[in-house]
Amino acid sequence: MDVLLQALLNGILIGGILICLTVGFQLTFGVLHVIDFAVGGWVMLGGYAAYWASRLLGIDPFISVFFVFALFTLIGCALGPLIYHVRTSRYARPDLMALAFTFGIFIMMRGGALWLWSFDSRSVGSVLSGASFSLGPVTVPLLRLSAFGMALLLGLGLFVLLYRTRFGLAVRAVAQNRDHAGLMGVDVKRVSAYVYGIYTGITASAGVLLATIYSVNPEVGVRYTLFAFFVAVLAGLGSVGGVLVAGLVLGLVESLVGTYVGTRYSLLVVFATLYLVLLISPKGILQRGI
Amino acid sequence: MHADTARQTISRSPLVLEGLVKNFGGVTAVAGVDLEVASREVVGVIGPNGSGKSTLFNLIAGMLPMDEGRVWLDGKEVTGQPAWRIARAGLARTFQIPSLFDNISVHDNLMAAAVESGDWKRAPHRAKETMEMLEISHVADNLASELSGGQQKLLEFGRVCMRDPSVILLDEATAGVHPNIRRIMLEAIRRVRDSGATFLVIEHDMEMVREICDRIVVMDAGQVVAEGSFDEIADNIEVQKAYLGRQV
Amino acid sequence: MVSKLSRSRFSGVLASFVGLVILAVLPGFVDPYSLRIVTGVLMWAGLACAWNIVGGYAGYISFGHSAFFGIGAYVTGILMQRDLGIPFLATLPLGILVAVGVAAAIGGPTMRLRGAYFAIATWAFAEMLMQVAIILDITGGTAGLSLPAYLNEFFFYYTMLVVALLAYLGTWYLLERTRFGFRLKALRDHEPAAEAMGIHTTLVKVQAFALSAGITSLFGSIYAYWVTFIDPRSVMGPEITDQMVVMVLLGGLGTVWGPALGATVLWLINRYIWSELGDTTIYLPILGLIIAMIVLFLPNGLISLLPGGRRGGGLMGRLLRKL
Repeated sequence: MDVLLQALLNGILIGGILICLTVGFQLTFGVLHVIDFAVGGWVMLGGYAAYWASRLLGIDPFISVFFVFALFTLIGCALGPLIYHVRTSRYARPDLMALAFTFGIFIMMRGGALWLWSFDSRSVGSVLSGASFSLGPVTVPLLRLSAFGMALLLGLGLFVLLYRTRFGLAVRAVAQNRDHAGLMGVDVKRVSAYVYGIYTGITASAGVLLATIYSVNPEVGVRYTLFAFFVAVLAGLGSVGGVLVAGLVLGLVESLVGTYVGTRYSLLVVFATLYLVLLISPKGILQRGI
Repeated sequence: MHADTARQTISRSPLVLEGLVKNFGGVTAVAGVDLEVASREVVGVIGPNGSGKSTLFNLIAGMLPMDEGRVWLDGKEVTGQPAWRIARAGLARTFQIPSLFDNISVHDNLMAAAVESGDWKRAPHRAKETMEMLEISHVADNLASELSGGQQKLLEFGRVCMRDPSVILLDEATAGVHPNIRRIMLEAIRRVRDSGATFLVIEHDMEMVREICDRIVVMDAGQVVAEGSFDEIADNIEVQKAYLGRQV
Repeated sequence: MVSKLSRSRFSGVLASFVGLVILAVLPGFVDPYSLRIVTGVLMWAGLACAWNIVGGYAGYISFGHSAFFGIGAYVTGILMQRDLGIPFLATLPLGILVAVGVAAAIGGPTMRLRGAYFAIATWAFAEMLMQVAIILDITGGTAGLSLPAYLNEFFFYYTMLVVALLAYLGTWYLLERTRFGFRLKALRDHEPAAEAMGIHTTLVKVQAFALSAGITSLFGSIYAYWVTFIDPRSVMGPEITDQMVVMVLLGGLGTVWGPALGATVLWLINRYIWSELGDTTIYLPILGLIIAMIVLFLPNGLISLLPGGRRGGGLMGRLLRKL
């Protein structure tokens, strides 16, 4: 029973970060109609940024996460127009070309990390590492709890931005209908670039949090891209709300399989579930996808 | 009851529809349409926007599953069959928005239309004939996406011809095209009709309707509200209500 | 017009003939190291050709073809273990059979998914299969599997050559000269319209997928015997698919000879980096950069730059036309 409770708690805490990882991805799909294969790459780069900030400058990841957010938002804003250009180009299949483009960026990130920083896994230390407190039968690691809290904070920030600001209104208008929003005077290109920037910022921040809990190496990107796809597909592509449930589901699945079946099966279960969900119900279990 | 007997007697008609119904959520797009089209007949379907004409076409062609009703092609029931099977049973259609194979040439578009019908060895020859009939031979090697709007409409009709079908559904074949292209299309439709095909056409251009249609069916709110020759329909009060009452 | 056409056809035939002769006598003139490189070019050209059937002609971007490469490699690897001892050539049809079977089984439901959904599903499938290879005992898990060594570079060169040639001639004939090719291109460009022409799109898609999987698996089998050691990463890892995708995009998506061109260029770059820099990791960022640049500037691939190639599009095409 205690083992189960512990597994559930761990699953929920990780699930919170997975939600944070996928929210921006969904927003990008809703606004730009691009499936970003590079999503795991942003997670990985965020992790490395936190590692170097901690290693070279001695900044704790819970501080550097804000700088990482700002830095990657800028990078994303610079890259966004290119992706928008490809997606709205007059190529034969702009959707597939955009897919290939982000695929290329992803390979660049993964290969670049491999080239610069080798295969080695790097762990990012924080003052919170190792600290925990007991709550009845379960142990609550302070690090995971704080990471969970930070993820919630980021998600909340995005929510406020979307539903309480003029910019958010423009974003939602574009997500509803790009052409109409354009006619209403929304600068679709600029909004798309900003959305891509916010997405890269928030995803890299999730990467910082994940790097503090696990560690970071060039190969984690593939895994997190598939995790993001898993959450997004389960929620229905483009559905931001469904991510809340789907992220927790993935966190719990991973944690429970890891606890009861063995960690080496957890990836298999995740990929197999993703594949089956796609076959059975491509619009997501929650039927809220676009 | 009468539908059953009707089917007995006209079972050789190229196209018979019986009680077609289609709902989208709470909205009824097609609300029980019965129709029979005789051999070599050209029947025009007119009606205001949203009256269910295009949905009706999609039901006949098997591109949308119908909620109720049955469809016969040349006396053979095709209800509920997939689109490709219905096509092979002898139905061809055009789409309201040109739906060409954009990245292959005009010639290859015609060839691709003939893969499942008729003698494949003769397909290149027939493609050539079709292009001559539609006066698009000079763009044979152009990609379909490079054609003008009117030429695309012609090519779309050309693909239908290549299929050598017994029943043809045309969805606004001449909407917004140059008068010259309209003339080519009109002649082509007559030629294909004379060679034995039967037509069901959605058309907004009343001049066109008057020129080619033997009979006209007026749809409103998913139902057939009037039926008759062009002159009969022109005087019909229901038709005027359908159009004028809605400000289209 | 007619004489011009037949003249260009004649020069095409002549060029192919000269190329074939060169390929046939090549092993007598180059050192073993170079021969290995050319063997690699042939293999990747064949793989790119296989991927192009689904990606270029059917318009379904598969990110899971490494699964079929791995299936071929493992079928051959497992069957050639000492306790079974099945001869290499006999394992080839079995590998194809398994790959085609798997492709036919998953093809139907998977190819109902369009665009990005299909890409994600195939990727998940390939990653799933790699996890299976890691977990199972029969595959040797992460420790890998050793095959009986057969150190005859000529054998592998000619095997790759024959299979690659057959793959290209076969796809050229099927896709450019028969109804099958028209069916595929039609459904790629407009699936509902293809159905309206009477084309059984689901069947055609699965046929294409199975054909592509079979060819991929065949190369996987030969590769396993060639390198004599396989593990999940080396024959099922995402790099296999990555390269296939990039080679086709680089050469020209949906063209017959584009994949061969892309594969040649890219594999030579790969080997150059490997031998000159002694470091293969920098190859990956270059690979990614090439994809991004191709998408931005040369969407129809290198082949569109050649005379007689399909007209160029995108930025590069526009720039070239302006010159």
